[in-house]
Amino acid sequence: MTAVQRRVIQAGVLAVVALACLAELLYIFTIPGGIVWQLELPGGPDVVLGSGFIRSFSLRQWPDVLIELAPGLAFAFSGLIAWSVRPRNRVGLLMMGVGVGLLVGIQPTTKGPSALSTALGEILYFLAGIDPPFVIDALLLVGALGVVMLIHLLLAFPGGRLISKVDLALVRSFYIVLPLAAVLVGAATNSPPEGLLGSLSSNVFVYAAPNLIYLACLVLGSGLVIRRWLLGGRARRRSLAPVFWSVIPVVFAFLPWSVIEIAGGLSQNGKVGASYFDALSTAAHLSPLLLIALPVGFLIGLLRTGLDMSSIGDLVVRLSSGLTPEQLQPALARALQDPSLRVLYWLPTLGWFADLDGKRVELPGPDSERAVSVLGDPSAPVAALVYDSSLVHEGQLLDTAAAAVNMALENARLQVQLRAQLEEVRQSRVRLVEAADSERQRVERDLHDGAQQQLVTLLLSMQTAKNEALRQGDRRVAELIDANISSLREALDELRELARGIHPTILSQAGLMPAIQSLADRSPIPVDVKGELGDTRLAPPIEAALYFVVAEAITNAVKHSKGKRMWVQVGRNLGLATIEISDDGVGGADVSRGSGLLGLTDRVAAVGGRLVVKSDAGRGTTINAEVPCG
Amino acid sequence: MPDRVLIVDDHAGFRAVARRLLQEIGSQVVGEAGTGAQALAEARRLRPDLVLLDIQLPDLDGLAVAKALSSEPEPPTVVLVSSRDAADYGPRLDGCGALGFIAKADLSAESLTALLGA
Repeated sequence: MTAVQRRVIQAGVLAVVALACLAELLYIFTIPGGIVWQLELPGGPDVVLGSGFIRSFSLRQWPDVLIELAPGLAFAFSGLIAWSVRPRNRVGLLMMGVGVGLLVGIQPTTKGPSALSTALGEILYFLAGIDPPFVIDALLLVGALGVVMLIHLLLAFPGGRLISKVDLALVRSFYIVLPLAAVLVGAATNSPPEGLLGSLSSNVFVYAAPNLIYLACLVLGSGLVIRRWLLGGRARRRSLAPVFWSVIPVVFAFLPWSVIEIAGGLSQNGKVGASYFDALSTAAHLSPLLLIALPVGFLIGLLRTGLDMSSIGDLVVRLSSGLTPEQLQPALARALQDPSLRVLYWLPTLGWFADLDGKRVELPGPDSERAVSVLGDPSAPVAALVYDSSLVHEGQLLDTAAAAVNMALENARLQVQLRAQLEEVRQSRVRLVEAADSERQRVERDLHDGAQQQLVTLLLSMQTAKNEALRQGDRRVAELIDANISSLREALDELRELARGIHPTILSQAGLMPAIQSLADRSPIPVDVKGELGDTRLAPPIEAALYFVVAEAITNAVKHSKGKRMWVQVGRNLGLATIEISDDGVGGADVSRGSGLLGLTDRVAAVGGRLVVKSDAGRGTTINAEVPCG
Repeated sequence: MPDRVLIVDDHAGFRAVARRLLQEIGSQVVGEAGTGAQALAEARRLRPDLVLLDIQLPDLDGLAVAKALSSEPEPPTVVLVSSRDAADYGPRLDGCGALGFIAKADLSAESLTALLGA
């Protein structure tokens, strides 16, 4: 918006304010003690009286003037202040709109026209001969638009923009429905009683309908404000709080008018006593004063979103004393008074943003209540700040804060990058181990289904041939075949051992405990197996890692320990699968000297566990492995 | 010796050898099946006295087939065979309803007679 446009709008609002005051003053001072409306209308006096246009104008005195002017003036002036303090925020504009609506338009709720609207009606009638009902409709429309702007304001506060699609759709529909409803009811009340619209006007509920609709809209608007309050962070709550409290008197301001419309109708039918009606009348008469609370609430709320540059000073002081990457996010959150603030780091090698742990995080979309500032050169960003959208208008403050933490952010980013790369390496190690495991399983299956099956069938065929030879009395051939059968058996045994070493079938078939028991059964050294796992199955990579630890430990003990006994203890405790393998051998095993244990340490680490080998000379060897198992 | 035998194995070569072996010991092979589903259907149709059942079948697990057969009204005797060892299956072999297990390499008139006679 250009400076000229701004000035025109400001001048326009001031002109409306001045004219409204002038009109009121004119009525007060030109006819002391009030004005008696003396319009002679073509439709007869009944029509005009029914319109409500006359009702609050028949007698006009000082208190009435103040009561009627106050809300409009409060909104217009608060809007002007808000717009000059936050020129880029639409809140000020909307507040001015509400103010103009109150000063110029007839309030659809109270049917109370301002002096300005009365003057407009009068001038138009005398100068151009336009019917008052038509003017009333036009001014009702202006008043209704003012009320919708109030709801718009409630939903867009404090950022000034409607962010969620629901809010946007709601406000758009209000801009269409509410003015339409106001005009329709206005037309109904101004029509001759014998017509369709006129017959509607005799129904008190139709007459009160706009009030009830406005009340419902206001309650709905308040509900949405409460929702935003509940979902918002501290920064949002700080600015919403004054509005939140000022909405309560406004709801009360609307209530008496809704009640009075119905009660008034009933009292005319003799169903409600006149004293009740009078009491309500007085309450309703004063209720516009409660509306003043709202613009004041908006203004205070808007000013509270303004943050203090001194908090950036505190941030700089903290930076100079050295902030770790972990402390950076809380420090920024405190400086910008938004505890929901998150710092995300750009990882150029991976092409995404990550949190402090190096985990990938998507930036919130444009529909979100969260706003994003990407720091650094857009083609090579350093980091992104994700914060409450109420901070959007604190651009300068955000820039200053970001500049202050730039170096620290760069450092933190390098650390995050390192963590992300480590995480990638860890995951790739897991994938490698899993791929190797499934490859081993495949090779074992191929050996079994292929070579082993063929050899077994061949063995059985030779067995039959041998029996046939014996039956025919050819012992020499039978012996010859028998020798071959023996060789074949040895080959089969070797093949089976090879397959088992590649991947033990029993592990996938029956689980860890039977597989370890099977290892123990085949071990030349007696192995005592104890376990708490029973039939419980663990994830295949964990079972495989622990199985191969036991297998390697037994193989090593048999080869090097000179021990006479081994013990395997399997347990599960606090989400950890544990295994301890010990022997009574000579000890002195060294993990780092290229034994199979080194590979197992890596294997156990790949499933997030650790392996500890204790092997003092002369004291046997004890291997402990623990793996998280959920 | 059982009179009527059903051989279940997905390897035709093994089925042929087993057929010869069983005939040698005087049994009558009444049918053959290559899958678990076929085994169940043929067992119901032919009502054999003995089923020689491979554990590793292309569709069902032989152990599951043995369990299903044992719950039939007049269940046949089931002998499980595999080119793997009993140790490869561990405790899963117990309680599957089969009479016993013979590794294929050890399958002979003697081992079969010993198991069935026991």
